[in-house]
Amino acid sequence: MAQFTLPLVGGDPVSLTTLVEQGPRLLVFAHADCPTSHLALRHLAQLEAGPVKPVLIAEEPPEEAARMARRSGVGFPVLAQEAPFPVSDQFGIEAVPTAVLVDASSRAVESLVGWDRAGYERLLGGPLPDLGPAVKPGCGSRLHEPAVRAGLDEVEDMFERGWTDGLPVVPPTPERVERMLGGRDAGRSLGAVPPSGGEATLERVAACAVLAGCRPEYFPVVEAAVQAALDPVLNPHGLAVTTQAGGVVMVVNGPARERLGLNAGMGALGPGARANMTIGRALRLVLTLTGDARAGRLDRSTLSTPAKLGLCIAEDEERSPWQPLHVERGIEPGSSAVTVIAADAPLSISDHRSRTPDELAWVLAQAATVTWSPCWWPMDDDSLFVIGPEHAAMFASAGWSKERLREAIFAAATRTAGELKRGETTPAVWESPDDRPIHKWADASRILIVVAGGEAGRYSAVLGPCDGMQTQPVTREVRWST
Amino acid sequence: MEYVSPIDPRVAEPLERAPRPAALDARRVVLLDITKNRGKEFLDRVEQHLKRRGAHTFRVSKETFSRPASSEVIERVAIHGDLVVEGLAD
Repeated sequence: MAQFTLPLVGGDPVSLTTLVEQGPRLLVFAHADCPTSHLALRHLAQLEAGPVKPVLIAEEPPEEAARMARRSGVGFPVLAQEAPFPVSDQFGIEAVPTAVLVDASSRAVESLVGWDRAGYERLLGGPLPDLGPAVKPGCGSRLHEPAVRAGLDEVEDMFERGWTDGLPVVPPTPERVERMLGGRDAGRSLGAVPPSGGEATLERVAACAVLAGCRPEYFPVVEAAVQAALDPVLNPHGLAVTTQAGGVVMVVNGPARERLGLNAGMGALGPGARANMTIGRALRLVLTLTGDARAGRLDRSTLSTPAKLGLCIAEDEERSPWQPLHVERGIEPGSSAVTVIAADAPLSISDHRSRTPDELAWVLAQAATVTWSPCWWPMDDDSLFVIGPEHAAMFASAGWSKERLREAIFAAATRTAGELKRGETTPAVWESPDDRPIHKWADASRILIVVAGGEAGRYSAVLGPCDGMQTQPVTREVRWST
Repeated sequence: MEYVSPIDPRVAEPLERAPRPAALDARRVVLLDITKNRGKEFLDRVEQHLKRRGAHTFRVSKETFSRPASSEVIERVAIHGDLVVEGLAD
């Protein structure tokens, strides 16, 4: 004879004895990470009254059990069972969903492992709708998850769940996620994340920020980045599934940089600063986990790039002689903003010889000509130049505006149609006479310029373009209040 | 251990594919050009082969390769075909 008392979603704790007073029950053991469990619940939600009534025993804490109930729309009792899952242990549950028929004397009569519509109809004594596969295997019960069985190694648990980018992550416990949310509405959605269409609720975004290793104070920047990255103008779907290397990079401007300790100086494009690394990573994890843009699955990038671990660039507005990127794009100077840009892998540009701004602009342009393709021109896509401070100083002392630099780079990145025809070039170039000059970009406005990097060393970098994505950068202001 | 999942369970299941047909005669096949360079030439050849096997063909074009098809395009594919060949790469 079985015996238990468990928390009931929306009511007081209830015992098995009380449940079977109303007749035999079908106890359905399930958990939120099992797709077959959700399949079973969607069927059971449409069960009409019959001799046997189901009870969901979710291997979840009460809030998650409540969410499971809401999502599937079940009207029968939902019980929450937390680790170490003693009731699953009592019933010998190995896999979910498992349905156990319990009679009016609390005796387990029969059990059914996995989804089997005909089997469930027989146990329930009533018909179920046809909502998909009639039979489907399930997943392991949480009782047997390594962290429960072994009692340790949450880090391995995260790898087993697939909640990583290949590196260890911080387990998103409810307490950590709640701190990350900082009082925000967990259920508020920022939209569907392509390519899978998974919903970017603030709770899921916060989970990704926790996984990435963010501090709670970083969350407003992460939220703005996700909002920007989901804007259809950026074309996040195309970027997620392309065979190209590139992905999304973000540029942060405004007081957020100092407030959060973002690094715009030495090593600006590389590892070292927690804020840069974890904020960039949080955005990528939303795309990879919530949007299912995983390498080898829906992310078809042939080689990809290390930048797809996440790349968050803070602009050195103080050393830049020009308007910061966000002000250029219409944000008030005193505000903070995130700009998300489709970008190919970064290319490093050395120039220690140029003595004039014209020479330097020519070198920057030549380096950019080989990005993405040395011949598939012109490209109606953006290149982001990250100008190092020593290079920026040369343009500043000559009094060059950002616009003048942009035009100089555009003009210098030119080849004749004949030269381009040596390689893979566009139909438009094939139709051009050999001596016609062709520009790298369709328009000078596709050249974006920011300043960042260490004070010593004459280096700049260029990222992008991404071909044919019909993408435009998207800027979103950072909102600090909840 | 209880965690907050970053994954939306509603989209966690991969979609099941329809079963492959045993034969092509009298089947309606939509040839979907995603407007990649020279995709049309590839689909022209595929169409010849399909017609030889007795299939009825219908051509549809997507607006651009880099964005998902519009609902109008999807509807046209669904109305005119039981099967789809998508012209996918350069």
